[in-house]
Amino acid sequence: MEPELIRNIRLLLVDDEADFRGTLAKRLLKRGIAAHQAGQGEACLALLANHPMDVVVMDVKMPGMNGIDALHHIRERHTETEVILLTGHADTRDGVEGIKAGAFDYLTKPVEFDHLLSKIIQAYDKILGKKQKIEAVAYKARIEQQMIATERLAALGTLAAGVAHEINNPLAIIKEAAGYLSSLLQKRELTDMPRKAVFEKVLQKIETSVKRARIITHQLLGNVRKSESILAEVDVIQLVEETIQLVRREAEDKDIAVALQAADGLKPIWADPNQIRQILINLLSNAIQATPEEGRIAIQVESTDGGISIAVIDNGAGIPKENLEKIFEPFFSTKSPGEGTGLGLFVTREIVDKFGGTVEVVSRMGHGTQFTVQIPNRR
Amino acid sequence: MIKIPTNILLVDDEKDFVEMLSLRLEEAGEKVTPAYDGKMCLDVLETEPIDVVVLDIKMPGMDGIQTLMKIKIMYPLVEVVLLTGHGTTETAIEGMKLGAFDYLLKPADFDDLQTILADAKKKKAAQDERIRQAEARRLLRRGGNI
Repeated sequence: MEPELIRNIRLLLVDDEADFRGTLAKRLLKRGIAAHQAGQGEACLALLANHPMDVVVMDVKMPGMNGIDALHHIRERHTETEVILLTGHADTRDGVEGIKAGAFDYLTKPVEFDHLLSKIIQAYDKILGKKQKIEAVAYKARIEQQMIATERLAALGTLAAGVAHEINNPLAIIKEAAGYLSSLLQKRELTDMPRKAVFEKVLQKIETSVKRARIITHQLLGNVRKSESILAEVDVIQLVEETIQLVRREAEDKDIAVALQAADGLKPIWADPNQIRQILINLLSNAIQATPEEGRIAIQVESTDGGISIAVIDNGAGIPKENLEKIFEPFFSTKSPGEGTGLGLFVTREIVDKFGGTVEVVSRMGHGTQFTVQIPNRR
Repeated sequence: MIKIPTNILLVDDEKDFVEMLSLRLEEAGEKVTPAYDGKMCLDVLETEPIDVVVLDIKMPGMDGIQTLMKIKIMYPLVEVVLLTGHGTTETAIEGMKLGAFDYLLKPADFDDLQTILADAKKKKAAQDERIRQAEARRLLRRGGNI
């Protein structure tokens, strides 16, 4: 074994004969091992409680707790420690009993130093081997977990596309039905229809909702038609204000104050306004759902080097650490069934990725969450 | 100005969709004939003067692409607009290489659909006009020979 590795061995010598211990310790030190010492079984256990050891070299015959008893305790409490017993010349039975109790090996006194040293090194080798095995198992488990997650994502992606496609058909029917009724309301014979304004308003809601659903299904299909993804000069502040209007009702129901903090002299950016709006709706409605009654939500907009940064900050419950990695996965949701699709943040990240931007989340339990989206200017 | 209706053949296996879109298109002044699969579509084309076929790609039996290929062989002057609820824009583009006029993703924006229908009809009308003029020239030439 390499001298550097030998130096790493944490060794404890336990023997009631102080001279023997001392001599042994000196010789070990010459070979690079700084050994700890204990004069009794009790002292050995007390030391181990605070100083974990790799190898314990221990005399069997000791006043008070003998070596075999101490070995039993060590096996129970310090499973990673290996024990080498030292027995008297005539007491090989002690050694055999020790092996049964889990000792690494035993040596009879008087001990030949090099023999002892090689035993110590063997014991340490065994420990290293065990550690490597454990690490290998853990590594394999981690890789397997990652593969399962990847496969699950792929399967979900396929599923999501299938679901989106199936939803598009009924969505098209709803859309044409509502559109037809809207066009009927324009007819002259219906000019004086009672409660016409309500009908118009409700139909409008159906149509805008279908549009929203359609944006999501098309996103999921990964397949927004080029000409539909328009690039335009986008006034982000105006979009934020529109989005606040959209979610105003939800916020008012919970007495949540939504504040827009816009930096001065913001320049418009070139991007797809529909997709920016989609991001804002997702982040803002999440924030409202995460914020308790009378909570606060702030939306901070500022120019960055290459584009714009939008932060949505709430003082809600926060996201548990174990969920932070999952929130961008499709279908991950902590909301009650029917309240969330589990797609909001997934879609948000898809859009941001497509823009070549970033989305970051910082969350503290009990304090709140901040989502920051950076979008580069596409001009 | 009186609008001259476009003769539209609407083909989709979703009957409710065909019904709703037909109502809407007719409300907008078009004339719509419904069909629910590829075979029915070809049957209609045999008897009705159709300007534009609005054709769903994903249908059981003969799908939209197969139907499109047949239409383009048998009725090359009829324009075809593909509709897809599918994630396969590639298929739609493939369809355009096979002679479709354009395509729309379902649920399509009604204004977009109307624009495309108008353009398709314009293209067909221009083509019809060119054919008429060619016919006329041929007749004139023949007349000159007499």
